[in-house]
Amino acid sequence: MKIRIRRFDGSKSWWQDYEVEAKERDTVLDILLKIRERQDHTLAFRHSCQMGSCGSCGMVINGKPSLACQTRVLELKTELIRVEPLYNFPVLRDLVVDLTGFVGKHRAVKPWMIRRNPEELEDASSEFVVTPQQNMSFVQFDYCIMCGLCDAACPTMALDPLFLGPQALAQAYRYVADPRDEGLDDRLEVLDDAHGVWRCHFAGSCSYVCPKGVDPAKAIQFLKKDILKRRLFRSKKESSSPATLPKVEKVPDNAPHPPPFDYKFEEVSQA
Amino acid sequence: MSSEEQEKGYKSGLIRSLNPKGFNLERYTYMLHRITGVILALYLIAHIFEIYHVGLAVLNNNPQIWYSTLAELSSLGILEQIGLWIVAGSALYHGANGLRLILNEVFGMLLGKPVLPEYPYSPTSLSRPQKAAVYIITAVVVALWIWAGLYLLAGLGVI
Amino acid sequence: MEQLDFDVAIVGSGLAGLRTAIEIMRKDGGRGKVRVALISKIYLMRSHSVSAEGGTSAVLFPEEGDSFELYAWDTIKGSDFLADQDAVWRFVHLATQEIRLIERWGVPWNRREDGRIEQRWFGGLSFPRATYAQDKTGFFEMRALYDTLLKYEGWERFDENFVTSVVIENNQFKGFTTIDLRSGNMRFFRAKAGVIATGGAGQLYRITSTAASSTGDGYGIAYNAGLYLKDMEFVQFHPTGLVPKGLLITEAARGEGAYLVNRDGERFMKRYAPSKMELAPRDIVSRAIMTEINEGRGVRDEASGLDHVWLDMRHLGKEKIERKLPFIREIGLKYLGIDIVDQPLPVRPTVHYNMGGVHTDINGNVQSPSGPVRGLWAAGEAACVSVQGSNRLGSNGTNECLVYGYIVGNEVYNYISNERPEPQSASPSVLEAEERRIFSEVLGRESGGEDVYELRDELKDTMEKNVHVYRNEAGLAEAVKKIKELKQRYKNIRLSDRGRVFNYNLQHALELGFMLDEAEVIATGALLRKESRGAHARIDYPNRDDANWLKHTLAVKGPDGPQFSYIPVKITMWKPVARVY
Repeated sequence: MKIRIRRFDGSKSWWQDYEVEAKERDTVLDILLKIRERQDHTLAFRHSCQMGSCGSCGMVINGKPSLACQTRVLELKTELIRVEPLYNFPVLRDLVVDLTGFVGKHRAVKPWMIRRNPEELEDASSEFVVTPQQNMSFVQFDYCIMCGLCDAACPTMALDPLFLGPQALAQAYRYVADPRDEGLDDRLEVLDDAHGVWRCHFAGSCSYVCPKGVDPAKAIQFLKKDILKRRLFRSKKESSSPATLPKVEKVPDNAPHPPPFDYKFEEVSQA
Repeated sequence: MSSEEQEKGYKSGLIRSLNPKGFNLERYTYMLHRITGVILALYLIAHIFEIYHVGLAVLNNNPQIWYSTLAELSSLGILEQIGLWIVAGSALYHGANGLRLILNEVFGMLLGKPVLPEYPYSPTSLSRPQKAAVYIITAVVVALWIWAGLYLLAGLGVI
Repeated sequence: MEQLDFDVAIVGSGLAGLRTAIEIMRKDGGRGKVRVALISKIYLMRSHSVSAEGGTSAVLFPEEGDSFELYAWDTIKGSDFLADQDAVWRFVHLATQEIRLIERWGVPWNRREDGRIEQRWFGGLSFPRATYAQDKTGFFEMRALYDTLLKYEGWERFDENFVTSVVIENNQFKGFTTIDLRSGNMRFFRAKAGVIATGGAGQLYRITSTAASSTGDGYGIAYNAGLYLKDMEFVQFHPTGLVPKGLLITEAARGEGAYLVNRDGERFMKRYAPSKMELAPRDIVSRAIMTEINEGRGVRDEASGLDHVWLDMRHLGKEKIERKLPFIREIGLKYLGIDIVDQPLPVRPTVHYNMGGVHTDINGNVQSPSGPVRGLWAAGEAACVSVQGSNRLGSNGTNECLVYGYIVGNEVYNYISNERPEPQSASPSVLEAEERRIFSEVLGRESGGEDVYELRDELKDTMEKNVHVYRNEAGLAEAVKKIKELKQRYKNIRLSDRGRVFNYNLQHALELGFMLDEAEVIATGALLRKESRGAHARIDYPNRDDANWLKHTLAVKGPDGPQFSYIPVKITMWKPVARVY
């Protein structure tokens, strides 16, 4: 099996072909590892968890941004596999791209819990009341592993380097949709902008390539709706409040343990 | 990054942006929407130029100015009709697809609800209702466009 | 060497590292008085903590019968009585607060119908107290912590900086040296306080559930700086790793009711842990599976040649699987094309966790042969307090990261603000020597012809063969001999990539150096410990020997190999009893 990799050494770039033997279960990452360990030690690419949950190994495989660790070679059904670094990111070496701008944009949308009363975020006496149904409103968008595939697939991103991009916008919506969050107003300045949500024209490619089913396109359209509602009708969402629990005695940080006692241990069998 | 490199990146970005090969159906509608948008914008500029001559004719109280503009346009012959046909198609497509986008973006329709993603993941925003809307729009636009073509040909006296 | 000045330098950006950084930032309250450098050899949010699946234990429902005593007892009994009981007692109390805090920061815990947090069964627990968010608990916790950390100013991230050494002089922490992978240049992070939170060393083995980044660099730098490594011979094998690579299939699958069956379709756990069945602690289930396989009741996987047993979840039903174990279903479909809704998964034990680590006291302060190191802490899997003893219970790992992140964060902040230490410069000769070691002796070596990846594969094969679930004298001795030979050959490695920018070849060579040290400590420690306790099971010494071996192993670097000493276990609440499930 042949694999053609786009390489870059800091000044020039070229295509390099490798011939590798592929087994049935091999993923593209397995192939790349074989090349690096057996044929060419200089091939540079990122990888880590090898099970599709860390987001390190995003690259463009046969023209589609994919995670190398969960793209099985046989499923590609091509004689020649073409591997390139992620589109829309500056390339540093071979398949390694610069994520500095990407993480910066994510931070810009304030992707953290905002409450009107910030002290509620530091209080560990109880949890917020969130029903399973309410959980459903945002948990899909919390699946994001920040691999950058959506930004690489986005046609708008290719034209506007200042566009926040599907990853950041979907993460903004993840908090906007969270019943515990009250921060839409704080985020409006960044989101309600020509380079914010309104730059998105819904090509849907972000959702198409997302390896975790986050569906950023859906999140961004919902975000547009929420921003319009806020701007036009000044509507406010109802947020959930902390549960009131029976007061439990607070344990000091450095709780001294009690003197040894005879604890009668009984096996609790699983019902 | 040097400005030269940025320029290079920008150019390849334009090509990538307009090349939907290997991506989803909505990416094709995105491409068409952008291209038809540019055509309409160009047409509007030409149209303003045309209207400007009407204004000139009124201001100078000289209808001849307008007649000569019309004559110039007619001298394009079949090209004028083809141009109008393309503009008609662009307007139809841009309008109809725009309606779908309004449903998506303003009302959050055709997108499904937030769900627990199920492997293999198929995004609800690109699933059945969305695809159906795209196909319906395409069918209606193509039908109307053919009709517009026939109408224009009739105007030429071909049919 | 470029020098960067900070108040605190944290190496490792997993749960423990992030939690420590957040705690310092919270205490600082946005005053910007304490400047923190968060150093990671990969990008933030790529750490292996994201792969934690099952849950995080905490006492949330005392009104329903749970209690701190019960939790402490479970942990201590699970640890085969090697855990320090004072540390466990404190640990179980702080867990509750952590669960609720990160809930307020955004973790989407699975909920009960009334909106409170839901919990589930986990191995070795006597109350279903594993708090969970589907089967991506660690991932959601990382998300919440990372997002929350972004809120604060006053810290700086140094992604893709590979730490090569910790500089300690006169028992005073001075800083960390790193290689910036992006530029290929060395940096010295001079700091008043340092935290090692680099995680475990699962990559020592071939079949492992850990990420490629889990090479235990924290153990390596501490060992080479002359610090103690504690209890390293206790390596946890997770019973259910997906054949062939060992990808993690969470214990929560069994917590939700999955069966383990052998080739005859028998639920064999009834012979090993009749009351707990599949929910016995991990060491017991791993041994049970290996016994089944060794006695010929396993199933052969044709493609990889590995023997395995089946993990059967068919009776759980699609709805429950989708709601509680979606990621497991995804993994099965993705890598083997098996849908757990209607087929069982092939599983076998896989390396998962290191109970041992850098020797710390109950506050996470690192200990050296000449006393506590001033200004250096360790947290999470990299540290050994010891809360986990000789076997960690499932759902206590993420917990330890959070709790010790909190404790260490507090300690560091108090140290900086109360003791007002002055930044201390390292002697230039030390830094020069480190630079020379890396650039001349590893990167620039012209002679020799050993290949990094060949050595690494040989190391993995040795560990897989001889230092596995079951160990014996001959195998361990052979492993020690082989590792010593590999260490000799390591001195002759030659790199083919001579560039500076993203030279992963160099990074892997340095990691291999650390891994050889760790492997030597693990294998030698296991050879010396002549008993079976928790995850350390000797065929030739099948019983626990409290009279001689109820003690922690300490290893310190000597002129030729590790030197061992032992310290007592803190028994404050419960005397060891027979461990029956």
